[in-house]
Amino acid sequence: MALSERRIARYARQLILPGLGEAGQERLLAARVRVVGAGPVAGPALLYLAAAGVGTLWVDDPDPSGEGDAGAWIHPPDGRGRPRTAAAVEAVRAASDLVEAGVLRPGAGPTAVLVAGAAQDVARAVAEEARLLGLPHVVAEADGEGGAVTVVPVGAPCYACAFRAGHGAEPTPAATAQVGALAALELVLLLSGAAQAPEGRRVEVVRGQPMARATLRLPGCACAGAAARPAP
Amino acid sequence: MTPRARIDIRAYACPLTWVKTRIALERLAEGDALEVLLAAGEPLDNVPRSAAEEGHRVLAAEPAPAEGPGAWRVVLVKGAPREEPA
Repeated sequence: MALSERRIARYARQLILPGLGEAGQERLLAARVRVVGAGPVAGPALLYLAAAGVGTLWVDDPDPSGEGDAGAWIHPPDGRGRPRTAAAVEAVRAASDLVEAGVLRPGAGPTAVLVAGAAQDVARAVAEEARLLGLPHVVAEADGEGGAVTVVPVGAPCYACAFRAGHGAEPTPAATAQVGALAALELVLLLSGAAQAPEGRRVEVVRGQPMARATLRLPGCACAGAAARPAP
Repeated sequence: MTPRARIDIRAYACPLTWVKTRIALERLAEGDALEVLLAAGEPLDNVPRSAAEEGHRVLAAEPAPAEGPGAWRVVLVKGAPREEPA
């Protein structure tokens, strides 16, 4: 499948990046990403994924927009009380009409998962579900003035292996934006194939400075067992 | 060397001139030649230079008046894929 003229024009500058090219852009177009969370961390991530040309974005968040969403990029100031997903889908559609955007439906069949700013127990559960389904996933957590992005390609040490507790501080708007955008970039690298032979890694952001480390499997963790089946 | 493919990018401006050329090169095998019809000026300056920077060979660059006023014909030979920067 060749990219349309519109897509070539839209993604021109990305298409000429080393390691991406038309094949990588086509892989992004074919990707269907479940984004868990539609708040301040997810906002920049959703816009980034839309601008990068990910084909389908499904937003998954049960909550209505609240006070903390006012600076979340995708939520209008007067949007309090509306479902977060509605604002997120509208923002993605406004950012690009080349992307399919919607609220996650049962049986949707994503090819990858991004967890963006979800509660710790939700992040763990969603990451484990993605691992068992054989889906690559990225988890973004903002914390105080920084946060962390955990990248789990298929077969890599799982999110629980990579987890390190943060301070649990209320994240600043700059931290949520940085961590969200960084998570989207990591997912684009995974989905496009620009990251050749990707390994699991965790990028810690401390006062704006990202530091990446390879993740290690905890002894005895279930993720070392039978390899999860690859995505269809 | 007979070009395996031919593109005409005279209707495009930067950066699409190089984008179109790069996509056409991507579709070829190493060692295949691509004929590019382009306009003098910015495309003629930049497309062969970008191709050379990415490891392709510029086999020919010559005016092609038969194709129209200001047309140039550039033949590129696809190079080996290079190691991506870490």
